Amino acid sequence: MRLALKDIRYHSFKFFTSVLGVGLLLMVVLAIGGIIRGVILDSSTIITETGADLWVVEKDKLGPFVEISRIPEDYYHAVEVIPGVAEASPLVMAWEHVARMPRPTPLMRFLYMNTLLTTKTMVEPGWMAMPKDQQFVLIGYKPGRIGGPPVIVAGRGIEADNYELVADERAGFQLGERVRLGYHDYTVVGLTKNMVAFTADPVLYTTLKEAQDVLIQPDPDLLRDRRRRYKQQTLPKEKARVPILVEPLAQRAASVAEDTHVVNAVAVKLEPGASAEEVAREIRRWKRLDVYPAPRQVNLQLMGSNRLILFQLSLFRALLVVIAGIVIGLVIYTFTLDKVKEIALLKVLGAQGRRVYGMIVQQALLMGVLGTIIGGVLEQASEPYFPRRVETTYGDIGQMLVAMIVVAVLASIMALRRAMKVDAPSVLGA
Amino acid sequence: MEYAIQAEHLVKVYGAGRTRVEALKGVDLVVRPGELFAVMGPSGSGKSTLLRILGLVIEPTEGRLVLDGDDIYNGGRPDLQRLRREKVGFIFQLANLIPFLTARENVVLPLELIGVHGRRARDRAMELLDYLGVAERADHLPEALSGGENQRVAIARALAHEPKIVLADEPTASLDTERGLSAMRLLRRVANERGTAILVVTHDTRMIGEVDHVIRLGDGRVVEKGDVLERPRA
Ligand SMILES: Nc1ncnc2c1ncn2[C@@H]1O[C@H](COP(=O)(O)OP(=O)(O)O)[C@@H](O)[C@H]1O
Ligand SMILES: [Mg+2]
Repeated sequence: MRLALKDIRYHSFKFFTSVLGVGLLLMVVLAIGGIIRGVILDSSTIITETGADLWVVEKDKLGPFVEISRIPEDYYHAVEVIPGVAEASPLVMAWEHVARMPRPTPLMRFLYMNTLLTTKTMVEPGWMAMPKDQQFVLIGYKPGRIGGPPVIVAGRGIEADNYELVADERAGFQLGERVRLGYHDYTVVGLTKNMVAFTADPVLYTTLKEAQDVLIQPDPDLLRDRRRRYKQQTLPKEKARVPILVEPLAQRAASVAEDTHVVNAVAVKLEPGASAEEVAREIRRWKRLDVYPAPRQVNLQLMGSNRLILFQLSLFRALLVVIAGIVIGLVIYTFTLDKVKEIALLKVLGAQGRRVYGMIVQQALLMGVLGTIIGGVLEQASEPYFPRRVETTYGDIGQMLVAMIVVAVLASIMALRRAMKVDAPSVLGA
Repeated sequence: MEYAIQAEHLVKVYGAGRTRVEALKGVDLVVRPGELFAVMGPSGSGKSTLLRILGLVIEPTEGRLVLDGDDIYNGGRPDLQRLRREKVGFIFQLANLIPFLTARENVVLPLELIGVHGRRARDRAMELLDYLGVAERADHLPEALSGGENQRVAIARALAHEPKIVLADEPTASLDTERGLSAMRLLRRVANERGTAILVVTHDTRMIGEVDHVIRLGDGRVVEKGDVLERPRA
């Protein structure tokens, strides 16, 4: 006869509401851990997924995301011939906006309303208006080289300059959707996942050349105007139609538009066993380049603007863990103390100490374990609905489980020591 | 003559100094197997204290106690818990059944405590519940039973492991006269048929008619001792 289970059967409402309460509290603790991991992953994913060992940027610039870096595209050829370099990939990476906001889901609308209410007294009217455009990070890469989307979860990748995009799932685009970037419409041909900048802005991938067009190509009207003025300045006033003269001029005019061969960074993959330090030293010999190992790039993003939010979140997580431990300990403690009379009765009937301990500790463990499972399941199930990436692992839940087992055992033993002290006969009216 | 209970000069002192209370001041008592024994006396006279000592719930400050041939405090530290679950059955004023166990499970409990499990324990419990006339309530929780039924289940629980000694502290106090009497008659029958020594603390003089002996306590001493009725042994 399992006394613990019989008691739970009898007090099922109380037991399961307690378990649910414990579960919800643990869900929050797990979620805040998942939020922290989300910030870390968002800050590092582009760097880590690119798989580059070194990042080459403009001299005295910190990196493609931290500061604007511009280097001539063709430098990558020179980098690639350095001994130890397996591959050098020129990349364009920059924030772009699209005049589009996906239709907000009911959840998003709820989150928006909730934020409005919360910040009502903190903001000027208008500050909290729903944005009308969406922010992205546009990455241009040479198909076949590193720096492109690491996985395609729907559709296909990009093979050539064809005004095509691969978008991160979180951007909310459908396959086949057309997106205006710069002076062209691009078609979304594939979706990738978990590729966002450290700002959580989703990534749009296109080819290097098209990204350069989007970012650097001037307004066609401006271009036309410039060409006209250029011609006017140089053509002879007497309108002498001399074809020989016009030809080179037209070429020079056209070249105004074509000076887009600039990239933000070159991602470098080393050959196995090659020394990153030596390759970096070689690259730094160019007066116009700087180079950082990948971990340093991650560090710049993680410990940049995200540093303080990470500090705050971690502090809250620590507090929350302590609070949850105390609250859950108290729930188990009082749940046990409620059984003082039954414990006294078992004592008087001569029940062995281990039987009484067994019943109490089993219940406490069951409460802790079920609570952790419920918390874990709820947290995992809710992860996709968070507006930013939230990611817990089974390791996190396992850690939580161990912590809960410790809390449950401690709380129940403390309660039991209290319960065992009561004067059994007086509790029983004997 | 083998006694079920043999107590000599039991003394119990609670507390010390200003809170010192001498609850028993030297009580002698013998109970034979099959006897139904009543302990009476005003409130505070030490009835419950005596019962707790006889039931091995607390230890006497002084005195000798022999239960079922075992000289409890003579030599070594006695395993009171084990002796209690083997030799003694308790019936309390309020039935004090475990609320989360059914009537039958409540009776099975003391059997499991002495290592009788499964079918054997269940059959024994049903047999006792049947004997006490509450077999059809076996699968109900205590809260679904009446006061009288609860007390019968409590008696069944006290008898389950066939203790030589059953101790009852005002078992009829929460019952009306008729049910109280019927519970007393039941105890009478158990003592007769099973040879159990039963010691009942009671206030209620109407219950006296059923018992073999009465002792009256006053201020921690036996003030009166007497046979009530000579009854034919069953
Ligand atoms: N646990 C205890 N601690 C201190 N004094 C007690 C305790 N239990 C009983 N007493 C005292 O011992 C005396 C006898 O009590 P008790 O045996 O309960 O008497 P009765 O059951 O006859 O009313 C009373 O004065 C009571 O206050
Ligand atoms: Mg009393």
